[in-house]
Amino acid sequence: MSLIALRHALGGFWESDLAYRFRRSPVAILAALVGLALLVAAMGAPVLAPYDAFDPAAANAADARLPPASEGMFGDYYTLGTDPQGRDMLSAMLYGLRTSLVVGLASVAAAALAGVLLGLMAGYFGGVLDAFIMRAADVQLSFPAILIALLIDGVARTAMPAALHAELAVPILIAAIAASFWVQYARTVRGLVLVERGRDYVLAAKVTGVSTPRILLSHILPNVLGPVLVIATINLALAILTESTLSFLGVGLPSTQPSLGSLVRIGNEFVFSGDWWISALPGLLLVLLSLSVNIFGDWLRDALNPKLAS
Amino acid sequence: MSALLKVEGLRVEIARRGRVMTAIDDVSFEIAAGEILGVVGESGAGKSVTGTAVLGLLERPAFQAAGRILFDGRRIDTLDEDAMRALRGREIAAVFQDPLTSLDPLMTIGDQLTETIRTHLDLTQAEAVERAARLLAEVGIPAPRERLASYPHEMSGGMRQRVVLALAFSCEPRLIIADEPTTALDVSIQAQILDLLRAMCRERGTAVMLVTHDMGVIAEVADRVAVMYAGRLVEVGPTQSLLAEAAHPYTRGLMGSIPDMHRRDVELAQIPGSMPRPDAPVPGCAFHPRCGQALPRCAVERPLTFTAGASEVACWLADPAARSAA
Amino acid sequence: MSFVLGRLGQTVLVLLVAAFVSFSLFRYVGDPVNNMVGQSASLAEREAMRTALGLDDAFVLQFARFVGNALTGDFGMSYRFGQPVATLIAERFPATLELALISMLIATGVGVPLGVWTALHRDHWLSQALMAASLIGVALPTFLIGIALILFFSVWLGWLPSFGRGQVVEIGGWSTGLLTTSGLRALVLPAVTLGVFQLALILRLARAEMLEVMRADFIRFARARGLKPRAIQYRHALRNTLVPVVTMIGLQFGNVFAFSIIVETVFQWPGLGLLVIQAIQFADVPLLAAYLVLIALCFAVINLAVDLAYVAIDPRVRSGGGVRGTV
Repeated sequence: MSLIALRHALGGFWESDLAYRFRRSPVAILAALVGLALLVAAMGAPVLAPYDAFDPAAANAADARLPPASEGMFGDYYTLGTDPQGRDMLSAMLYGLRTSLVVGLASVAAAALAGVLLGLMAGYFGGVLDAFIMRAADVQLSFPAILIALLIDGVARTAMPAALHAELAVPILIAAIAASFWVQYARTVRGLVLVERGRDYVLAAKVTGVSTPRILLSHILPNVLGPVLVIATINLALAILTESTLSFLGVGLPSTQPSLGSLVRIGNEFVFSGDWWISALPGLLLVLLSLSVNIFGDWLRDALNPKLAS
Repeated sequence: MSALLKVEGLRVEIARRGRVMTAIDDVSFEIAAGEILGVVGESGAGKSVTGTAVLGLLERPAFQAAGRILFDGRRIDTLDEDAMRALRGREIAAVFQDPLTSLDPLMTIGDQLTETIRTHLDLTQAEAVERAARLLAEVGIPAPRERLASYPHEMSGGMRQRVVLALAFSCEPRLIIADEPTTALDVSIQAQILDLLRAMCRERGTAVMLVTHDMGVIAEVADRVAVMYAGRLVEVGPTQSLLAEAAHPYTRGLMGSIPDMHRRDVELAQIPGSMPRPDAPVPGCAFHPRCGQALPRCAVERPLTFTAGASEVACWLADPAARSAA
Repeated sequence: MSFVLGRLGQTVLVLLVAAFVSFSLFRYVGDPVNNMVGQSASLAEREAMRTALGLDDAFVLQFARFVGNALTGDFGMSYRFGQPVATLIAERFPATLELALISMLIATGVGVPLGVWTALHRDHWLSQALMAASLIGVALPTFLIGIALILFFSVWLGWLPSFGRGQVVEIGGWSTGLLTTSGLRALVLPAVTLGVFQLALILRLARAEMLEVMRADFIRFARARGLKPRAIQYRHALRNTLVPVVTMIGLQFGNVFAFSIIVETVFQWPGLGLLVIQAIQFADVPLLAAYLVLIALCFAVINLAVDLAYVAIDPRVRSGGGVRGTV
C-alpha cells in the first residue's frame, strides 16, 4: 500500500464515502453482522453457555465423546455433543470463542500501542533512535510472525517453571503475538509522521512553543489513526489465527483453558475414530470468525484505497 | 482543404455510482492535414479527455455518449477495437505528458521501437532496427545505434521524451495527439522538444492536436487555438488573431496569464474563482460565475456559437442581436 | 554490484543477531550444566562441568566460541535425544525442504496464472468466484485445512495416507520421498495443506500487481502505439507484474518453512518442524538454538536469491539503482 493511499485513507476516513460503500456491499454487511454476533456470543458466554466449561465438576466422564444432539447418562442434553472429558461442546466452544477473541483483541491492541509509540518516536526524533528501531523492524520482518510468536512462547516456557507458565499463559501468549505484529504499525506510523512533520501546522505548533510530546499526541496522532485502524482490523484476523495455531500446536494455552485452537487439538486425536465433531465444530466456528474479520478487513482496506476502487 | 480530423457534437459522460456526469459537452472542431491545433484550458477542462476520445482510449467509467469523430472522412468512433487498434500508432499516434512513465522500464528502447514498427508495417526485424536507428538519429539522440540497447532509466527525461517522439513518428502517422508533451520537462528542455515536434511535423505534413494548459506553448507552435472550459469549447480561432484580440472573456483572462513567454510555469490564476467540476454543473454559460461582463441571460441560457472576426465564440456578448439592441 | 554487497552486509547482520539470540538462549535459559549432568550431580562435578564448558569465561569469548562452533556445524548435544544437534537436523532437513519446495511449486504454478487471469477478466463470474475462494484460502487456518483433508481423503475416502513420509530413497545422504509411489502419495495432502494459503496469497498479489501495472502510463502508451492486446498483456504488463511477485514468492518461502511446523504436526511429517515443536515442548535448548540459526541462514539465502533474481529481471537494479518493485 502506498503512502499516498494511506494518507488519503486517513483524510477521508469518516467521510460519507465509506458509509456509502458499506451500504452498497452486502458482503461487508454480512461479515460485520456475523462478526458482531460472534462478539456478543463470546462476551455473553457465561450467560449463554448451558454448562460451565471451566468447572471440572460440570464435565461428566461417562458422557465423553457423545455426538451432537445426544442425551447424557444423567439426562443432560448436549446440542453439539461432548468432548473426550465429557464437557459440553457448545459451552466449551462459547468459552473458547471468548478466549480466542480476548487474546486476539488484546494482542492487536498491545501491538498497535507498541508499534505506534515506536513509530512516532522513530519518525519524530529521527537519528540513532530511528535507525535502531527501523533496523530492528527490518531484522524482525525477515522472520515470519508465527515463528517469532512460537519462539517467544517457547522461550518463556523453557525459562519459567511449568506452574508459573500455566498461570501466565494468557498474558504470555498475548505478548508473544503482539511482539510479532508491531513492525507494520511502526513502519506505517513512522512514514506518516515523516510526512506530517513537515506540514505547516506542526511547524506552527513548534514555533508557538508547544512541547514535543504535545505536538505528537494532539497533532500527529489523530492523523495516523485511520491507517492504524485498517492494519489493526486485518491483523485481528491474523492474531486470532496465530493464537489458535499456537494453541493447536500445544504451545499456546493449556487445555484447561479452552480456546478454539486447543479444542481442535483435543479433537484431533479422535478424527481417525470418526468422532469428527470434537475438532470440526470448533474448527468451523474459528473459520467463521476468521472469515468474517478477514472479509471485513479486506473490504475496509479496499474501501479506503481509492486506487483499487472501480 | 477538407479536414483530416473532424469532431462533431462530441459528448463524453462519466457514470459513477449511478450518477452520470458530463465531462465533455457538445464539442465540435476540425484539424486540417498538416495543421497544428492547440487545445488549451485549465486542468479538468476536458482537453485530455477529448484527445483520449479521438484515440479511442476512453475507459470505464468514461464513455462517448453522443457525437461523431471522423478521420480522413471515415467515421472512427464506431470502429471495433481491432480496427481502431490498427489505426492507433499507424495513422493517429500519441505523445503523453510524462516521458519517465511512458516507456516500459523492462524493455530496451530499441525493442519498444521495433515492436511498434513491426506491429504496423510489414518489415523484417533487420529493417525495423534500421528504421528505429534512423528515427533516433532524427529526434536528435547521439549514437543512435548504441542507444537502441539502452533501457529507459539510463536516459534523461528530455532524452526519453525524444524517444517517445520517435515512437510516435515511427510509422509516419498523419495525426499526433500530443497531451501536455512538455509539461513534465525542465523549462530549458521544453523549447527543444517543442521545436523538434514542430520541425518534424512541418517536414512530414503531420497534423497535431496539441493539448496544453500553457498559452506560451500555444503561441509558439499552434496554427489555430481551441479554448476549452468546463467540458465545452468556448472559442476557436487562428492563433495570431486570437492572441491579438480574444473574443471570449475567459480567453482574455487566459491571455493575462502569460506575462512572459519564457516563464511558462504561471498557472491560470488571473481569473478569480475556479472552474465548475463535472459533478456540480452550472446552468447557462459555465463561465458566468467568474465573468466580469456576465449578462442576466448568461446565468440561464447556454450561449450559442457566433462568429467574431476570424474566431468562433460561444458567448452572449458576441451575439449580433444583443449588440445591435444595446 | 554495490547493491549485492550491501545486501550481503545486511544478511551478515541478521545472522549475527540470530546467533546472538540463539546464544543467549543457550547460555541463560535454564542451566546448561543442570541439563547435562542431571540433578543428582555433586557440586564438584558441576564446577568441573562449568569449567569444561567454559561457562566461566568472559561473555564475548563465549559468544565467539559459540559462533566458531556454529560455523563448523557444532551446536552441541540435544538434551532430549542425546544425539548431536547437527546430526538430528541433517536427518530431518530433506523432509522439510521437499515439502516446502513442492508446496511452493504448486502455489506458484497455480497462483500466478490464476492471478493474472482474474486481473485480465475482472468481470467474469469465474474471476469473482476465484477471488472469493482466495479470500477464504487466506482466512483458513492451516491446521484446519490439514485436518479437513485428512478427514475427507484418509478417513472417509481412504485414498491417501494421513501421516509419515512413505518410503524414502537415500541418495548420497539425502533421503527423498519423491522417487517412490508411497512417498509421493504421502506428500500430496501435506503439500496441498501447506500450499493453499500461499496459493491464495500469490493469486491475490499477482492480480493486484497486474491491475496496478495495467493502469500504468506505459501500458496506456502501449495501447496508443496500437500494439496488440496480447503483446500489451504478456510482453509488457506480465513482465512488470512478475518483478514484485517474484520478490514476494521468494520472501514467502520463509513463511512456508515456518508453516511447515504446523503441517508437520498435523501429518506427523518427520521434518524439522516436528523436531522444533518437540524441542519447544521439552525445553531442548541446544536444538532450539540451532534451529534459530538455521532458519536465519535459510532466510538469508532466500533473500540473497531473491535479490539475484531481481538483478536478472530488472535492468534498473542491474545498473546499481536498487529500486525495489513498483511499490
